[in-house]
Amino acid sequence: MDTRLFAADLLDMLPELTLFIAIIIISLLDLFWPKNASKKGIGVLTLIALIVSAGFLIYQRIHLDGVISLLNDSYLVYHYGILFKLIVLLGVSLIVMMSFGAIRDKDIPHIGEYYVLLMPAALGAMIMASSADIITLFIGLELLSISSYILVALRKHHTKSNEAAFKYIVLGSIASAFILYGMSFLYGMGGSTNLFQIGATLQSLESSFHPMIYVSFFLLLVGFGFKLAAAPFHTWAPEVYSAAPTPVVSFLAVISKAAMLIFMFMFLPVYFVPLDPVQNLTIYSDVVLTLHVVAAISMIVGNIVALMQKNVKRLLAFSSIANAGYFLVVLSTDRPGELVYYLVAYLLMTIGIFAVVTALENSAEHQDISIFSGLYFTAPVTAVMTVILLLSLAGIPLTMGFLGKFFILLGVIQVKTYWLAAIMIVSSVISFYYYFRIIRLMFMRSHSEHTTIKVPVTTMIVIAICVVATIFFAFFPQYMLSFIEWT
Amino acid sequence: MSGQFIFFMLFSVTAIGGAIMMLNMERIMYMIASAAVTFLSLAGIYVLLHAEFLAFVQILIYAGAITILMIFGIVLTKHEEKREEPKRRFYHISLFAGVVGLFAVFYYVINQSAFPAVTREIAQDQTKEIGLLIYSQYVIPFELVSILLTIALIGAIIIAKREGK
Repeated sequence: MDTRLFAADLLDMLPELTLFIAIIIISLLDLFWPKNASKKGIGVLTLIALIVSAGFLIYQRIHLDGVISLLNDSYLVYHYGILFKLIVLLGVSLIVMMSFGAIRDKDIPHIGEYYVLLMPAALGAMIMASSADIITLFIGLELLSISSYILVALRKHHTKSNEAAFKYIVLGSIASAFILYGMSFLYGMGGSTNLFQIGATLQSLESSFHPMIYVSFFLLLVGFGFKLAAAPFHTWAPEVYSAAPTPVVSFLAVISKAAMLIFMFMFLPVYFVPLDPVQNLTIYSDVVLTLHVVAAISMIVGNIVALMQKNVKRLLAFSSIANAGYFLVVLSTDRPGELVYYLVAYLLMTIGIFAVVTALENSAEHQDISIFSGLYFTAPVTAVMTVILLLSLAGIPLTMGFLGKFFILLGVIQVKTYWLAAIMIVSSVISFYYYFRIIRLMFMRSHSEHTTIKVPVTTMIVIAICVVATIFFAFFPQYMLSFIEWT
Repeated sequence: MSGQFIFFMLFSVTAIGGAIMMLNMERIMYMIASAAVTFLSLAGIYVLLHAEFLAFVQILIYAGAITILMIFGIVLTKHEEKREEPKRRFYHISLFAGVVGLFAVFYYVINQSAFPAVTREIAQDQTKEIGLLIYSQYVIPFELVSILLTIALIGAIIIAKREGK
């Protein structure tokens, strides 16, 4: 309970500090990088920084005893925070590895900066995972957002990409403004920037403030929905996904979503405000209902519109919108363990499938769904692995995607929200259609476009890691679950 | 009617008026001037709230730096003075209805919540107090802002840079 930061406290922030220092050093190194040398060296350094940071996190996790709180409870090192940070670092590391083979000079003129920018984005997400103060949360969010705006805009000589980046910046800033506005209401009522204190004050407020609490939630929801790409705030996603560099798209789909989930995970407990003590009603139950409605719309819109897509990245965008729905469901049932499990599953299958897409679109020079046609005959190993990833995305048994969805479904049934469970099952079944359409294309010989497909070694490693983990943790989920629950 | 109320009305009318003018102006120069009016009026409201440091920063950064920067941006870039916007009547009507609805909700909500009247002592050395807070309680976000600004700068440079090949 101290309002000052001491040098000893910096030890608790080692994972973040590592990235902080790495950003400064590597961006300076980039300036003095020899002109003829490959910029992949910068990527390797970035990868090392991420791994070192993850090493410190694991060390922290092993020696964690309760909750470490810095600066008057505004910065917390705790169980799920560390897990979220590990997920972020795992995702970004895989994306960096995928980029080695996927990012080309002619697409992105500033490859050095591309690798450097992934680190502040990861740092922002990590800060969000351990702060309980609205100012720190917002700064973390903006660090993540601004880095991702720049990452989306890196394909400078591509008109569509510029347009998408511009839209993303404008809409993203509006979403941030909504979040800030919602926060300002909370600050006005709570009289503090600390989420725990706000929560405590809100509970003691008289009933005339309840409409304002609702207003603050709905303002925040607009921002949350946008950053999470949940319908009806999803309209930017297909356009940005189809125009941005593919590794950046996987970043948006995985890391931005994960960061937003931890943001909501921190924020939602504020709304445990009793409305009617007799009937045991709280504002939180309305919050949960709203989340359920948004989740249902996302699942329906995402899965149905995906049926009509011809562009692979647009299709995956709608698939990620549908997944935002599943995430909102598991968030509202307040089961962090299942959230972490499905997040890892989603991370592995999404990054894996985007890695496949990078290799295929780079050799075909377009993004039509036909890049998959005849893949089994030109690159059988890649094709088999792609099938496994797609089955996991569709939620077929014996994959992580299935188990994750199954856990979510159990949670929903346990809180007796049967209509949501029904929507979840039906929309999952609809999603089979478009995932299987890709699989069918891969096994059709007649339409084969490519003669040979070169999948770069690093991309192959990323795909292999994703596939192996997807299957391993589906057969042995207890290893991961015991790691999640381990205290 | 107290002097504070008169000034509050004055500043809020000019702040909102400036914002509306900015949206409706045809020429970019006038837009910037209207935005500057809004920035200055907001500074006036901060003074009324006894947030002198914030008011000073508002004038220095928003009314000063950002306005000047926008003028530089216009001078240094090529742009078409005339811009034809397609008339989208339904769009504008629904937008207007949405904004009015949002205003009505917020007005109702703020108006009906009974904020307790609290008398608080106003710190004498505001700048010092803010400085102390920034370097103690809020030191983590403060340090992060430095990275944030660096990243924004790097991003602006690499996006605007012309590749000399």
